[in-house]
Amino acid sequence: MRRMVPSVGMFAIDAHDVTKTFRSGWFARRETAALRGVSLSIPRGMIFGLLGPNGAGKTTLLSILTTLLTPDGGRVRVLGLDVLRDATALRRRLNMASGRPSFLWSLRVGEIIALYGRLYGLHGAALRRKVQELVELYELTPYRRVPYSELSTGLKQRVALAKALVNDPELLFLDEPTLGLDPDVSVRVRQHIARLRRERGITIVLTTHYMREAEELCDEVGFIKAGRILARGTPAELKRQIRLGEVLALKLDPPAVPWLAEAPGVLRCVEEDGWVECTVDEAEKRLPEILRALHAEGVVVRNVQVREPELEEVFVELAK
Amino acid sequence: MASRNVFFFFELLFWPIVGVVSIGLMARFLRLTPEQASFVLIGTIALSVVNVCQLEVAYAVLLDVWSKSLKHQFLAPMGVRHLTLGSWLVGMVRGLLIFGLLAALGWWAFDFRVLAPGPVAVATFLAGCFLNAWIVGVAVCALITLFGNRAEAFAWSSVNLVLVLAGIYYPISVLPEPVAALAAAIPLTYFLDAYRAHFGFAQEFRAPVATGLALSALYALLAHWAFWAAVQRARRTGLLLKMSE
Repeated sequence: MRRMVPSVGMFAIDAHDVTKTFRSGWFARRETAALRGVSLSIPRGMIFGLLGPNGAGKTTLLSILTTLLTPDGGRVRVLGLDVLRDATALRRRLNMASGRPSFLWSLRVGEIIALYGRLYGLHGAALRRKVQELVELYELTPYRRVPYSELSTGLKQRVALAKALVNDPELLFLDEPTLGLDPDVSVRVRQHIARLRRERGITIVLTTHYMREAEELCDEVGFIKAGRILARGTPAELKRQIRLGEVLALKLDPPAVPWLAEAPGVLRCVEEDGWVECTVDEAEKRLPEILRALHAEGVVVRNVQVREPELEEVFVELAK
Repeated sequence: MASRNVFFFFELLFWPIVGVVSIGLMARFLRLTPEQASFVLIGTIALSVVNVCQLEVAYAVLLDVWSKSLKHQFLAPMGVRHLTLGSWLVGMVRGLLIFGLLAALGWWAFDFRVLAPGPVAVATFLAGCFLNAWIVGVAVCALITLFGNRAEAFAWSSVNLVLVLAGIYYPISVLPEPVAALAAAIPLTYFLDAYRAHFGFAQEFRAPVATGLALSALYALLAHWAFWAAVQRARRTGLLLKMSE
């Protein structure tokens, strides 16, 4: 992934110490702190992934950034505009799509895109052109006259993405864009998201539960838990930050070598399917040492694999 | 969209026609004088026009609440005035169609000439109906945005209460004193009073059109403010999101 070095004024999102508490029940006595001082800066042109367990505050943060929700405290500037003072001007320049899209059931695909096009000030020939462009872009031509309620989940998702581009946004928010999609459709949606940034230069902020998706798409990811950003960086940086180490997978004869877990630099060892997986602090340094020690003990090494930890392991570690 | 929705057909045509036909036949059965019959038919037509137009305004929010797509509307760069004025314009077109249809039906079936007072009186009467429809529709939008789906039943019943209090089928002088005072606070009461005067009924109020317009302006401002405040509150409490996907 290409790492971007932002300069002043390059931020698509610049949020400082954002707080949000939801109140419910009689006389609003029950309080749920959704965000507890979130600070986040995202450079323009980046695909940023917001990860976290359910109830972590991802959707709340996204809703504040899209002006759908007002923060209780903190300062939020999006595309250089204040989300409270300049909300209307800001709404012209951003859009969002959700993984659980919902539109008026009786409207047809073309009508949905046209309706939202009108809300963004398009009309006449410009509106017709835009609808045509988006219908073609998302391969919705055969479904143009099909009511929304009759579409499959994947098609609904494509309609949501088409609607989200109706105003040519500079900033696009995608809330779990591949939720519930078949793997082949997910792959195409991910390819399309990457293409949007590549061809249109759109800054994209997405939330996802799929670590592979985040790793594949995002320049940087941020982990949010209990309303706080716990870590952020490129997937590779995060793996280092969390000190998960690297994994040496060894196929040995004999298969069990108890002293390996005590060897210098080895953080932990597990046996699985005939492989011994040792997490080490630094594979490049530890692998020759371990191989030498195994050789000295007369243990035959039949196979060796070195791999980085998955982002999912980082997620699990942070979510603990 | 309406062409594909039976629901809209019933609202737009079925119920208004049923209303005028049943009230007209009831007037015939009770052997009401032509003046009395025109009194109740004016009320019936006003009820239909206000209902159709106010529903259209309320649908600006309701349809999105029902389809859980409300956030997309409020994500777009428009204010509540765009939302309500746009739907009001559509509501007025539908209201005009209903008025024309019911006027023709009243003339053909019951020899009731609702257009007899002339274009200025008809235009004033319709303006009054449409203003009331806007106020009620925006108030419904405010209630829904404030309380969510829970407010739907209350919203519909309050609409009907307003229409009943305005003296749809009777002069408000027949109402008990405190209720009559409430009726006097409803703008539609004055527009009905002014229009019925063209059919020979004594006016119950002095300068009813001016009073109706003044009250309408006041309530329109209040309703608009209430809806705006409700949207701000929904953005604060998260209700806007709860009513979406």
